[in-house]
Amino acid sequence: MTTSTLRREQPAFVETFQRLRLGPYLFVLGVAIIDFLVIGPAQFVNGLTIGAIYALVAIGYTMVYGIIELINFAHGDVFMVGAFTSMYVLTNVLGQDGPIKDPPVLAAVLFVDFAITMILLGILGTVIERFAYRPLRHAPRLAPLITAIGVSFILQNTIQILFGPSPVNTPQLISPTARVNVFGLDVGVVNIFTIVVSVSLMIALQLFVSRTRIGRAMRSTAMDREAAQLMGVDINRTIAITFFIGSALAGAAGVVQGLYFGNIQFTLGFQAGLKAFTAAVLGGIGNITGAALGGFIIGFVEVTAGAKGVFVWGQAAVFVVLILTLLFRPAGLLGQQIGERA
Amino acid sequence: MSAVGQAPAASSPGIREQVADLSSRHRSLSVIVGMTIVAAILPLIVLVPPFNSFSGQAVWMDGFTIAGIYVLLALGLNIVVGMSGLLDLGYAAFFAIGAYSYAFAASSFTHVNIPFWPMLLAGAAIAAVFGILLGAPTLRLRGDYLAIVTLGFGEIVPITILNSSKYTEGPNGIGGISAPSLLGTEFPTTGNPWPFYLTMLVMICISMILIYRLQDSRLGRAWAAIREDELAAAANGVNTVVTKLLAFALGASTAGLAGVFIAAKLQTVTPNLFRFDVSFTVLAMVVLGGMGNVWGVAVGAFVVFMIQSVFLKQLNLFFDNAHVPFLQDINFLDYQFLLYGIALVAMMLLRPEGLFPSRRRRRELHTDEDQEFGELGDELGASPE
Amino acid sequence: MKNAKIGALVAGAVIVLAACSSGGSTAAPTTAASTGTGASAAPAGSTAASKGELKLGVTLPLSGGAAADGQPTLKGAQLAVDQINTAGGIDGYTIKLVPLDHAVNGKYNEQQGAQDMQTFVSDPAVIGVVGPYNSAVAKVQIPISNAAGLLQCSPANTNESLTKPEFGALDYRKTNPTKINYIRVAATDDIQGPAMATYAYNTLGLKNMLVVDDVTTFGKGVADNFQKKFEALGGTVIRVGAGADTTDFNSIITDAKTKNPDGVYYGGVVTSGGGLLLKQLRQQGLTIPFTGPDGIVNGAGDAKGSLIQIAGAQAADNSYGTVAAIGDFPGKADFEKAFADHFASDADFKVAGAYSGPAYACATVILDSLKATLDANPTADQAAIREGVRAYASDPSHTFKTVLGDESFDKNGDTTQPFISFYKVDPTAKGGVGDWVFKEQQNFSANAPAAASPSP
Repeated sequence: MTTSTLRREQPAFVETFQRLRLGPYLFVLGVAIIDFLVIGPAQFVNGLTIGAIYALVAIGYTMVYGIIELINFAHGDVFMVGAFTSMYVLTNVLGQDGPIKDPPVLAAVLFVDFAITMILLGILGTVIERFAYRPLRHAPRLAPLITAIGVSFILQNTIQILFGPSPVNTPQLISPTARVNVFGLDVGVVNIFTIVVSVSLMIALQLFVSRTRIGRAMRSTAMDREAAQLMGVDINRTIAITFFIGSALAGAAGVVQGLYFGNIQFTLGFQAGLKAFTAAVLGGIGNITGAALGGFIIGFVEVTAGAKGVFVWGQAAVFVVLILTLLFRPAGLLGQQIGERA
Repeated sequence: MSAVGQAPAASSPGIREQVADLSSRHRSLSVIVGMTIVAAILPLIVLVPPFNSFSGQAVWMDGFTIAGIYVLLALGLNIVVGMSGLLDLGYAAFFAIGAYSYAFAASSFTHVNIPFWPMLLAGAAIAAVFGILLGAPTLRLRGDYLAIVTLGFGEIVPITILNSSKYTEGPNGIGGISAPSLLGTEFPTTGNPWPFYLTMLVMICISMILIYRLQDSRLGRAWAAIREDELAAAANGVNTVVTKLLAFALGASTAGLAGVFIAAKLQTVTPNLFRFDVSFTVLAMVVLGGMGNVWGVAVGAFVVFMIQSVFLKQLNLFFDNAHVPFLQDINFLDYQFLLYGIALVAMMLLRPEGLFPSRRRRRELHTDEDQEFGELGDELGASPE
Repeated sequence: MKNAKIGALVAGAVIVLAACSSGGSTAAPTTAASTGTGASAAPAGSTAASKGELKLGVTLPLSGGAAADGQPTLKGAQLAVDQINTAGGIDGYTIKLVPLDHAVNGKYNEQQGAQDMQTFVSDPAVIGVVGPYNSAVAKVQIPISNAAGLLQCSPANTNESLTKPEFGALDYRKTNPTKINYIRVAATDDIQGPAMATYAYNTLGLKNMLVVDDVTTFGKGVADNFQKKFEALGGTVIRVGAGADTTDFNSIITDAKTKNPDGVYYGGVVTSGGGLLLKQLRQQGLTIPFTGPDGIVNGAGDAKGSLIQIAGAQAADNSYGTVAAIGDFPGKADFEKAFADHFASDADFKVAGAYSGPAYACATVILDSLKATLDANPTADQAAIREGVRAYASDPSHTFKTVLGDESFDKNGDTTQPFISFYKVDPTAKGGVGDWVFKEQQNFSANAPAAASPSP
């Protein structure tokens, strides 16, 4: 039954292989290569782009779940608020309404937009944690889950009241028709930008978590809250920082969403949140790299459905992937085996 | 459930306690009496101001009948969420399954015509089967994973119905569904609301009695035990998977029952009727009413539905007609889900046991207040053998 | 005939009102014009100036995202009622407009629609109902209004199964299959879809089209009809469904590009993602014609949430849309001016939408029928009035002078003048924000709709 007994019976090279834990990565690589061959390079870029956005959102889910074991249902809507914040910053603060040709100006505007949006969203995340989740940290599991659903409604409807129910245009700073030639393939500049930004943020986060003192506090809190507390970790502060980072990344994803699609709506968060959560579960909830990989896989699943003319089933396929994961590998690709009550 | 003696103690505890005591000993009877009183009062109360100025008695009763569907849904979800502590976010899927079962069984689309009454049971059974099919593999997982799987299931069912036009008429929905008939007379679509109203009443009555019986049974105690501590329950010999599965199946079957009813009432079903907001609305009803408390949940569902379908609308008309500046420009229906959101958060923070808490649930949620362990032991009975 | 006179009266009222309100007085909407409780009208019989109040119901989705569809339509009916009341009512009755909103969480909801219809049928003072907007809602409402014999006139429903027995309409009017109580002024999807197919194939010269639908009753229905006709004409179709919440169409477009479509048909409404589809098509470099039904013809580039606004005026160039109503009617400019003047002080939805005119026409049909009924029988009680209105309006021999032109209804309640108008986006219109401009219209008043050919 337990994995440890099975492991001992296997030959040495398998053991080494398992210790490196390369299996999941190879699996994802395999999926990517097969998918590449099935749908072709142009669709593959579509999948990577949308997958990058899901991955950024998924990281927030996984971090919060890792540290306080809460499915933060409001996270998808935090992402949506990020998209609206970015839209507001670009149009009303920075006065932009379309593509910027001059690279230094473009870089400066993008930097300011990302910085403001991420900081504001980080603050939103910590405020939600402070007032909606912290008081319930010792309550039965159901209570914070229901609160999270409530927060999700509040965010959605507040945005609807502020910006109206219709889809809203947001400036596409990078001309959506600009294309470059990458290895003989015609790729949109904004696609490359989306992928590069997302992957850079993920690498930065990974370094932060593994190299800094706060990152260590986060990891130790996730592992054993009481023990971490005994070792002098300020639990409340650590959890608040986790929410800050997760929500800031969702904010960044919101910025990217706006730049890529040029149009946002208050209902954006629900579907995106669901998919991102699926990505987090698929990758192994609590595991940041896993969430990123899961995001890309979900992107591939969706795009493959579109590429094969069965677009309408793409969404259902995502949930089927979710259910199958939970059935056959509840720990996800990279997650720890979780018992009944981890 | 055996009624030992009915003499109220002479040492005269307040009349309220006496009623409470009596009703807890004669649950079934008190449900019947209670529902009969409610059923008799509702049609009368709408004849007096201000209610009679909104709309006529028939419309009110039709509204109550639809409210009854939500009461049924809330009662069913309460088994899953309130009694057993499993969060089901895709509950509307079972509602849809029940409705489409009847649509397939009695409409011009399939040219089959199975009567309504047996289909009530069949619809409930079909929904329960789907509940078991979904629950069997997933209920082994921890609770919050279950929430997500059910959410996914709640999305998959309408998507599947939408995209299988050949079998379900897709987004068009299935029309021409037969209305129920009794003694050779078909229930009228409009005009006389009594047949649907009384049918709904009987359905709620029976469901409540059964749910009360279940709650007081060994199974009900096992649900409570799982909700409060699954490991401890398992250690005490409760078969947690089977117990949870039963909760899931019974919850689903109640939704199936409601589904058959709505199909017969509207005579048309479309996937749009079973979107995720139905699941969330019913969840809000259960939480606001007081998870675990059968009467509380029923009242919660009724009140929330009436606010949504009557109160906010009347507020709009009132301010429009009175030309109140500013307020007449607000469409209060736009704020419905904002209100749900605020209510859910406020409820969890301030009064997690709901507006009408069950005693058991209140104790559980106020863990740090002093508890009367003796009473807890009483209510749970001896630990399930 | 009498109705000609009434029509003239209404038309006159439009002009009078336009004149009045440009004088500057129009304040808040004046729906509840007079009289006391509103519970029910005073008993008929008194020949005094005021005989009380009769009600015209309106059933539309009015809140949230659906408000953009419902509100301008509601105001079309409201304008008609306000004008009648300003002109002194009908034979001593004032008309009260009673709008009920069946949007739940910002989207139309069938069950709420059914409840609202129960409200209308049980109020004896309601003589007719304008609406609904969505065909799916009509499917639950018609059984109720049919059983009660209450006239319903939809300005916007286009699904063919609501009226035509060969598409299953008898399922909806089971109680009184021969007493038509549901009429509509919009042409059905089995006309609208094929009309664009013919236009695309013959006029635009398209041969291989990408057809995307939003998997709704309306969108899928009209796209199916388009595809059938387009293929019958000899064209080929790449068919894809993309549900109502889709934001990312890139995979569909990338796939379609490999099949070299020379045009796109979007069966659906803009809120489902039509605007995003167009935007992403252009971003991927496809400048081929973009076509669609009335769901995409939803206002100029400065209207919030319109196709042109979402896609941008430049991207929206080379787009064509049909509207299932007469596009160029004689009183159009007057109507739009009267509308804009009447609602000038409102917070939103000040200008007429695509279905404001049809809603106005629906109200006219109902009110003209009321007038005819009361003229024939001045002492009719409310039940007799309701039945009189229903019988008069659904009688194929009657013709109504409406703002859309002469209107009458066939034995199923469909308009006998099913006009399809063709619009094209002009990106330079309205000072550069872009707008739809009327191209041409065709009258499909043939008996066999599937074989309907353009007969201008």
